[in-house]
Amino acid sequence: MPKLIIDNREIEVPEGIKVIEAADRAGIYIPRFCYYAELGAVGACRICAVKFVDGPVKGIEMSCMINAQDGMVVSTTDPEARDFRRHVIEWLMMNHPHDCPVCDEGGHCLLQDLTESCDHGIRRYKGKKRTYVDQYLGPLIQHEENRCIQCYRCSRYYQEFAGYKDLGVMGIAQRIYFGRYAAGVLESPFSGNIIDLCPTGVYTDKPSRYTGRRWDYERVPGICINCSLGCHITVSARYREIVYLEGRYSGKVNGSFICDRGRYGFFYANLEERPRQGRVRGEDVPSGRAITMAAQRVKEVSESHGAAAIAVIGSGRSSLETIAALTHVCKVQGWRGPVLFDSRVSSESVRTAVSCIAQELAVSMKEIESADFILTVGADPINEAPMLAMAMRQAWRKGAGVAAIDCRSLDWPFQFEQVTAAPDDMADFLAALENSETTVISDRFVAQIKSIAAKIRACHRPVVVCGTEITDSKIIYGAAGFVKAMRQAGQEAGLFYTLPAANSYGAALLDEIGETAEDLIERIESGEIKALVIVESDLWDTFSDRQRLIQALEQLELLVVADFMATEILHRADIIIPTLSIFEAGGIYVNQEGRAQWSPPAYAGGTPIKITGQGGHPPRIIRPDIPAGDISPAWRMAWWLADRQPPASHDLLLDWMGKTFPVLEKAANFTSEGIRLYLPEARRKTARETGGRKIQSLGEYLLLPVAAVFGDEPMAQRSPCLEGYAKHPEMWMAASDARLFDASDGDAARLQLPYGPLELTLRLSERIAPGTLIVYRCPDLFWQQFARSSRFIVPKDRIRIEKKA
Amino acid sequence: MWLWTLGYFILMAKITLVLTVVLLLAAYLVLVERKLLGRFQARIGPNRAGIFGILQPIADGIKLLVKEDVVLDGAERGIFQLAPVIVASMALLTFAIIPFGKPIIIGGHEIPMVISDINVGLLYAFALTSLSVYGVALGGWASNSKYALLGGIRGAAQMISYELALGLSIVPVVMMAGSFSLVEIVNAQAKWPFIIVQPLAFIIFFISALAESKRIPFDMPEAEAELGAGYHIEYSGMRFGLFFLGEYVQMQVLGALIAVFFLGGWRGPFLPGPIWLLIKIIGFSIIMVWIRATLPRFRYDQLMTLGWKILIPAALINIVITGVFIVAF
Amino acid sequence: MQPIIVIGFLNNMKVLIEIAYALYMGFYTTLKNLFRGPFTEEYPEYKRPLPARSRAQIILTSDPDGQERCVACYLCSAVCPVDCISMQAAEADSGRRYAKWFRINFGRCIFCGLCEEACPTSAIQLTPFFENSKRDILKMVYEKADLQVDHCGKDKNYNFYAYAGIVTKSAGKGEHVKEEKPVDVRTNMP
Repeated sequence: MPKLIIDNREIEVPEGIKVIEAADRAGIYIPRFCYYAELGAVGACRICAVKFVDGPVKGIEMSCMINAQDGMVVSTTDPEARDFRRHVIEWLMMNHPHDCPVCDEGGHCLLQDLTESCDHGIRRYKGKKRTYVDQYLGPLIQHEENRCIQCYRCSRYYQEFAGYKDLGVMGIAQRIYFGRYAAGVLESPFSGNIIDLCPTGVYTDKPSRYTGRRWDYERVPGICINCSLGCHITVSARYREIVYLEGRYSGKVNGSFICDRGRYGFFYANLEERPRQGRVRGEDVPSGRAITMAAQRVKEVSESHGAAAIAVIGSGRSSLETIAALTHVCKVQGWRGPVLFDSRVSSESVRTAVSCIAQELAVSMKEIESADFILTVGADPINEAPMLAMAMRQAWRKGAGVAAIDCRSLDWPFQFEQVTAAPDDMADFLAALENSETTVISDRFVAQIKSIAAKIRACHRPVVVCGTEITDSKIIYGAAGFVKAMRQAGQEAGLFYTLPAANSYGAALLDEIGETAEDLIERIESGEIKALVIVESDLWDTFSDRQRLIQALEQLELLVVADFMATEILHRADIIIPTLSIFEAGGIYVNQEGRAQWSPPAYAGGTPIKITGQGGHPPRIIRPDIPAGDISPAWRMAWWLADRQPPASHDLLLDWMGKTFPVLEKAANFTSEGIRLYLPEARRKTARETGGRKIQSLGEYLLLPVAAVFGDEPMAQRSPCLEGYAKHPEMWMAASDARLFDASDGDAARLQLPYGPLELTLRLSERIAPGTLIVYRCPDLFWQQFARSSRFIVPKDRIRIEKKA
Repeated sequence: MWLWTLGYFILMAKITLVLTVVLLLAAYLVLVERKLLGRFQARIGPNRAGIFGILQPIADGIKLLVKEDVVLDGAERGIFQLAPVIVASMALLTFAIIPFGKPIIIGGHEIPMVISDINVGLLYAFALTSLSVYGVALGGWASNSKYALLGGIRGAAQMISYELALGLSIVPVVMMAGSFSLVEIVNAQAKWPFIIVQPLAFIIFFISALAESKRIPFDMPEAEAELGAGYHIEYSGMRFGLFFLGEYVQMQVLGALIAVFFLGGWRGPFLPGPIWLLIKIIGFSIIMVWIRATLPRFRYDQLMTLGWKILIPAALINIVITGVFIVAF
Repeated sequence: MQPIIVIGFLNNMKVLIEIAYALYMGFYTTLKNLFRGPFTEEYPEYKRPLPARSRAQIILTSDPDGQERCVACYLCSAVCPVDCISMQAAEADSGRRYAKWFRINFGRCIFCGLCEEACPTSAIQLTPFFENSKRDILKMVYEKADLQVDHCGKDKNYNFYAYAGIVTKSAGKGEHVKEEKPVDVRTNMP
């Protein structure tokens, strides 16, 4: 442990860290452009120069290139060092354009700050400025290369950290250029981070271009709810709308970065079509009135048909508060529900995963980065939980092996070994890995499985990542069993599940019955249920048989829909109640490792000024309130719906949650750091085979709709800037199967499904499990988006391939 | 009976006359003061309401009358509303004993040109000035405001302190006139005004009178710079107007008292008595304005030092000297 | 003993004389002013011509080539101590950043001139015109159309976009003042 003195402050740091990081730990900020904690040091910018007064190194040196050593005496304020840095800034500014007023980085620009702090105001060099031609980098990132100071942060991040190759550095000498070989959309789903990374305005956020300045924003530390990981973000709001999101450092979850789905998945909160008023039988009413009307109607139904004729549907995209409130209200009123899962398979998988996970087994995403072997089972992190792929890449960069048991043609930004297994075989493969029982698996894979098993046994901190979408509860249970077995064998094994929605974990904690929307629809059809209250649910998109859903909804006497997004089902409601998004109401979300995190409200709500002013000047009226500022969060609405009084404040609500639900006992002492929530031993489930229908004969194919990073998640798919990123309808087929159809890559495929025909482009891959058809969910699938965790058995004669012209 | 009725009507006429003159004068003193202050400071002063701002007092009056009468939540309501009345009425009542001319003889009856010739008129005048302390102190206290309370306390302390000097300074005058009646005092100055024989008493009385009227340089109770407006900070509308009126009537009272005690009251050559009295009152008011335009405010300790350590001893010495002279001659 | 008393008495006399003189001077000065006559300029009858840099009504000026100068950089609204300026920037078809809407609430404005000082493009300027009070508070809220003028105001020459280096309709990369032609990354020639 070297001890050194920086600016008269003595500090002891671990071996091998750089002086600049040591200074950070001592709370001394050394200016930097190229250095970034996650990316490490390259010594490109020369601005972190400090004076080494005494010790093993002497003189002006770059603090990011020198390891902290015992006996060092460092001065950051030495006149010589300051003079050096002043000159560096002057060199860097020599070619920097004079465009700060029209640059979006202005106000939070590192270069601007350091130029100011080095007191450089007037350019002394009389020569001309170097210019570059900018590139189109897609709808998310604006490129302005003139501003570049050659810190290499973007190329280092993009190529080394994130593992994509299409953005990098070109040219020599004075002509260094950062960009793509040719203009075009960036391929990486993590590209947005270069906006945060760039110390000046070369890459700026395009959707929020010219929207405002950092100092004008209402900024709060938030939680991303576009997947189950719960990455930390900083939310910026202005003029009653969310402007942009940035990654926020978290030593437990995501590090510094976030994926593009999370970064740009917030636009649903700004959309004009969002419900901002109550609506009763086609007539706009204030939201409070809509709630009272709904409460009255529900009461009428309750009186005429009994309380059990009323059912409530919630979802994993609601906050824990909302789910708790709905659960409580249903219990005390005798209503059915709340139903928090859409399909039986999904319910079973998620609830099994949540019951399997325990404090000692769960690993955080940051801990994955230090794993030395990662095995994924039926998980496709890049599509299901993108930042997990980034964490796995960091582990891989440190030398960890990665193996995947999956039926998809996985495309990850790092090397891995795939065992191509059909969904039904995954459990066997897992068992084979666990106890070297190779008799059940196909001979082709025995050698591969044995080698992976040997690798896993040889490492210290293996992590098993298990998906919950294409896997069944047996696999999920098996993954946990495997981890337990490894821990018993002395390995520090960790377990990591990916879950379908931001709060699926929270839903599974509170849902003791496990009833699903499928069950409810059956009850509606049988006339048992007369009134349905749907709160923040995407049932329309996730329920597989849409025709059946429509008929069931029409059978109802009363349909109340409360949501903050204009879902299709909202337009079919008798009573619409608007609710608040996470940015307005805040909320607790429990991520896939049981980490309950609080996201505070970013702004007070209300219709964005962009909408009230129709793009121009805000309306010239004086009013004391915010337009559409009377909407209440869904948890309050839940109580009012039952004609009861909700807890008066959020703190009281947390107290109440802690007292009412044993599993949320810790909620009463909720801290900003978050808490860990796990199911008690008594509520843990045992394995049960519910894998849906299995392939009966050779002539049948298993069609699996799977997650896609863009265009699938219900909130992010509403972002206009992400529209072009969604996949086109594609069907992936094993190359061996294609031979049977005599099909080749790019052909048009036509499927006859019970709910309608499906037209897709055929894609072939060796790594698709034979007998499996993979379709990435996307908005362009014309008849519906595929249900989560649904499987379809398609007979061979229902698949028609048309050769491409 | 008819004589009594006639006497009553004559009295009413005198009261009406005096009140009208005093109130009108008070209103126009405000204008004169503002105009003069403007000129002293090389400004014009009010000139928008009527020609030369002649209607300014009327505009001010209307404004004060129509403004909302605010009584604060925490205020002691009754006392709060009573205080300005005390101040204004006490100042007005003093005019009851000011002689404003030679008695007129109508039909063999002598009609004294004074509302009421009390034989202890001087004591009456001092009693009233003392009572007006209550207006200030109570107004300041009842406002439930720290500034007003500080102003009220300062006012009480200052007025009580200077009352002593005021009273003592006038003792030689009483000794020379041999009466407490203001009429008699004026009559005693038939030959020469007392200012000639009692210049020291005049100076002490004048300074104390300024202090009693709470005008610059003795405006500690109001002290805009520190207390906002002192004891009347929470008053608005006509209640504030009454305090204001009280101050300007008080100016006239002091001018009249100085005229009576030292300048021979209504006596003077050529012009009739009331005119002389008016000239003297207005003259002193103008001098007060001049002082206001020139001098800064005393510090609180300076104020007390001047009162207790200089004026009171000087007044006492003056009494002794006067006594010695009266005994000697 | 005696000399001390005499000196003390003389000193006291000196102080008294000083006091008397000070009083005399004070009263003399004020009295002198009484007869000097007022200096007042009576406002609505006489309007003094104000210097060009006096601070009142705010305007948004134009470039020498007639285009809006304001680039909606938010600096004026940031520096405004009373928060009376609000705006929304946007990108015009020509590539110029401009204010989609720009609002100054003159009911709040204290005419401190900080916005003018902060403006990097000389767009926002204060003018000597100060007679802008209104009876309706909403009329004090000026929109962009009320603020935009078609002259350069006090700064006759500055044209921000001639220097900024960003691509607009009027100038591409390397066509601004003191700019080299864009770099060709694909050549290795020195």
